[in-house]
Amino acid sequence: MEHTTLAHHLLLAGLLFALGLTGVLVRRNLLVVYMSLELMLTAATLALVAFSRFNRTMDGAIFVFFIITVAAAEVAVGLALIVALFRRRGSMKSDELDALH
Amino acid sequence: MSPDFSSLVHWILFLPLGAAAFSALFLRRQGALAAGLSTATAFTIAGLALKLLLQAPGDVTWHIELARLGEVSLGFGYLIDANARLMLFVVSFVAAWIHLFSVGYMQADGARGRFFAGLSIFMFAILGIVVADNLLMTFIFWELVGFSSYMLIAHYFDKDFAAAASKKAFITNRIGDLGFILGIALCLHLYGTLDFVELQKHAAAAKMVPVAVGALLMCGFLGKSAQFPLHVWLTDAMAGPTPVSALIHAATMVAAGVYFMARVSFLLAPEVLQWMAISGAGMAALAGLCALAQTDIKKSLAYSTLAHLGIMGCALGLGHPELAVLHMAMHAFFKATLFLGAGSVIHGCHHEQDMLKMGGLLKKMPLTAATFIAATLSNCAVPFLAGWYSKDAILEAAWHGHHTAAFAFLAVAALATCLYSGRMIRLVFLGEANSEAAAHAHESPWTMTLPITVLGLVFAVGAGFAAPFLIPASALQVVSPALAEMHFSFTAPSTIVGLLALALGFGGALKFYSLFRGVDALQKLSPRTYALLEHRWMDGLYRWWIDSVQRRLAEFIAFLDLLLINGIAVRWIAGGATAALGHMTGRTFHRGQTRGFALWIVIGSLLLVGYLLAR
Repeated sequence: MEHTTLAHHLLLAGLLFALGLTGVLVRRNLLVVYMSLELMLTAATLALVAFSRFNRTMDGAIFVFFIITVAAAEVAVGLALIVALFRRRGSMKSDELDALH
Repeated sequence: MSPDFSSLVHWILFLPLGAAAFSALFLRRQGALAAGLSTATAFTIAGLALKLLLQAPGDVTWHIELARLGEVSLGFGYLIDANARLMLFVVSFVAAWIHLFSVGYMQADGARGRFFAGLSIFMFAILGIVVADNLLMTFIFWELVGFSSYMLIAHYFDKDFAAAASKKAFITNRIGDLGFILGIALCLHLYGTLDFVELQKHAAAAKMVPVAVGALLMCGFLGKSAQFPLHVWLTDAMAGPTPVSALIHAATMVAAGVYFMARVSFLLAPEVLQWMAISGAGMAALAGLCALAQTDIKKSLAYSTLAHLGIMGCALGLGHPELAVLHMAMHAFFKATLFLGAGSVIHGCHHEQDMLKMGGLLKKMPLTAATFIAATLSNCAVPFLAGWYSKDAILEAAWHGHHTAAFAFLAVAALATCLYSGRMIRLVFLGEANSEAAAHAHESPWTMTLPITVLGLVFAVGAGFAAPFLIPASALQVVSPALAEMHFSFTAPSTIVGLLALALGFGGALKFYSLFRGVDALQKLSPRTYALLEHRWMDGLYRWWIDSVQRRLAEFIAFLDLLLINGIAVRWIAGGATAALGHMTGRTFHRGQTRGFALWIVIGSLLLVGYLLAR
C-alpha cells in the first residue's frame, strides 16, 4: 500500500463528486449550490487526469485543459446570473425562487 | 530544375484576402484608400497571373495535409494545369479592369470601404476555386464565393428589392450546393479520396462512373452557373452595382461552375452529359428570346449571360470541356465589356436603366458607344471577333456530334442573340434621346472609359484573332487545338447558321425597332408574345411549389409533430409516469423547486447507470 494506484484516485474523485452532489441537493443558498456544482466538475477532471497519468497518454490531460477553459467561461456566466437574480428578487434561497416571472 | 511556382500562387491567392481584411478592419470610412488598395491588389494579381501563364512550364502542384480522419486525408493544395492557368489569367485580368472601373463608378457611394473589401474577398474566393486541388477545398471556396456574391448583391441593402434579390441568389445556390456536398460525400464513399488527380485515376480504372456522382456534382454547377432550372436568381442579381454584375454575374463567378465541371469532366456519366447538352442548349434559346422582352438594360444583358452560360453547358455536355473553357474566357471579355459599357451608360444618363428612355447616345458618349458596339458584335459572333471562335466551334461540335436537337436550339440562340443585340444598339445608341436624362448624357471619366476600351477593343474584339501571336502556344495548350481548327469556310453549317442569324437578326432588329419611338415595337405589335417572354413563369412555378406543395407538407409534418411527439410522447407519457409515481412526485415536478429537479436528475442518472451495469 505504499504506492497510490488508480483506484485511490478514482475513490477520491468519487468522494468529491458525492460531496458536491450532496451539497447541490441539500443546500439552499444558490452560491453554495454553485460551489458544490464546481466541486462535482473538479471531481470529474480529477478522474480524467488520473486516467491520463496511469494510462500513460496525454489525452485526458489535454481534455482537462479544455474543461478548465470552458469552466472559467461558465463560472463567469453563472455568477453573473446569480448576481442578476439577486438584484431582481432580493433573495438567494433556492426554495424561494420557484416561479418564472 | 524549374523554379518553384507555388510561392507565386501563394501570393496570388492570399494578397486579396489580406487586402479584404485590411479594408474591412481599418478602411471602412476611408473609401478612397480602400479603393486604391483593392485596385492595386487586383492589378498585382493580374501581373502575377500573367507571369504564371507565360513562364510556368508544366503543372504547378503543392499540397499540405490539414487533417487526417482514418484513411481520409483532408488537405489544402494547388493543382494548376493549363485550364487553371488560363482561368487564373482571365479572372484576374478582367477583375483588375473592373476594379479600376469601380473606382469611377462608385465615386459617390458612401460605403466604398465595404464594397471594395467585398470585391477583394470575392477575388480570394474565386481564385481559391481555380487553384484548388481537391473537392473539399473547392467546396469551401465555392461557398465563400456564394457569400461574397450575396454581400455584393445586397450592397444597396436599404432597398427592398436588393435585399430580396440577394436572399434569392443565396437560397437558390444553397439548393444546388446540397447536391454538390452529397456528391462529395458519395465520392468519398466510393473512392475514399477527394483529390482530383486521385479521383481521375480511380475513374479511369473503374471505366464506369455511377450516374449519381456526376448528377450530384452537376447540382452545384446548376446553382452557381445559373443553369436551368436554378437560373432564376441571376436576373434578379442585377440589383447589385453594375461592376458587381460585370465581375461576378457575367465574367467570373457564373463561369466558375463551367470551370469546375471541366475539371471533373472525367466523373460525368453519359446520361449526365446528355442532360447538360439539351438543357444548356434549350436554356440558351429561351434566355436569348427572353432578353428581347426586357426594358432594363442590365436585365437584358443578364438574359444574354444566361444564354451564353447555356451554350457553355451545352459544350460541356457535348464532351468538349476545352470549348466550354474557351467560350468562358471569350465571354468573360466581351460580357464584362458590355456590362461595364452599360454601367457607363447608366452613369452617364444619371442612373436611368430603362432602354426605352435612352437613345442617341452614340454622339454623346462616343467612346462608350464604340466599345459597346464592338463587344456586341463579338457577342453576336461576327467572324474573327473573339466570340466567333468559341461559339462557332460549339455549333460545329454539335453538328459533328450529330446532336440535332442541341444544334437546332443553338441556332435559335444564335438568332436570338443577334436580335436582342440589334435591339439594344438601336434603342440605346441610335435614334433620338427619349428622355431628359438621355438628352443631357455625358461621357464618363477616364477610370471608366479606359477599362472598357482595353477590355472591349483589345480583348472582346481581338482575343481569338490575336491570341496565337501574343501568347506562346504552351500557355494556350488547352484552347489552341480549338483555335487552330477554326477556319473560315462558307460551306460549314455553323458558318451558314451564324451568318444567316447575323444578317436576319441584326438587320431585322435594327429595322424592326425603328418602327416606333418610346415604346417597344414587339410589345406594340404583339403584346401577348411580349408578355409571354417577359412573364416570369419560372418564378410562378416556384411560388406554386412552395405555397402549394412544400408548405402543405410542412404543415402536415407539423401536425404529426403535435400529435405524436408533443401529444403522445411528451404529454401522455410524462403525465402517465407522474401519475404512476403518485401524487407526491407530481408535486415535486410542478412546484418549480430547483432542488426537486436536481433530485430527479440524480435518480434518473442512477437508474441509467444501474441499467447499463446490469446489462
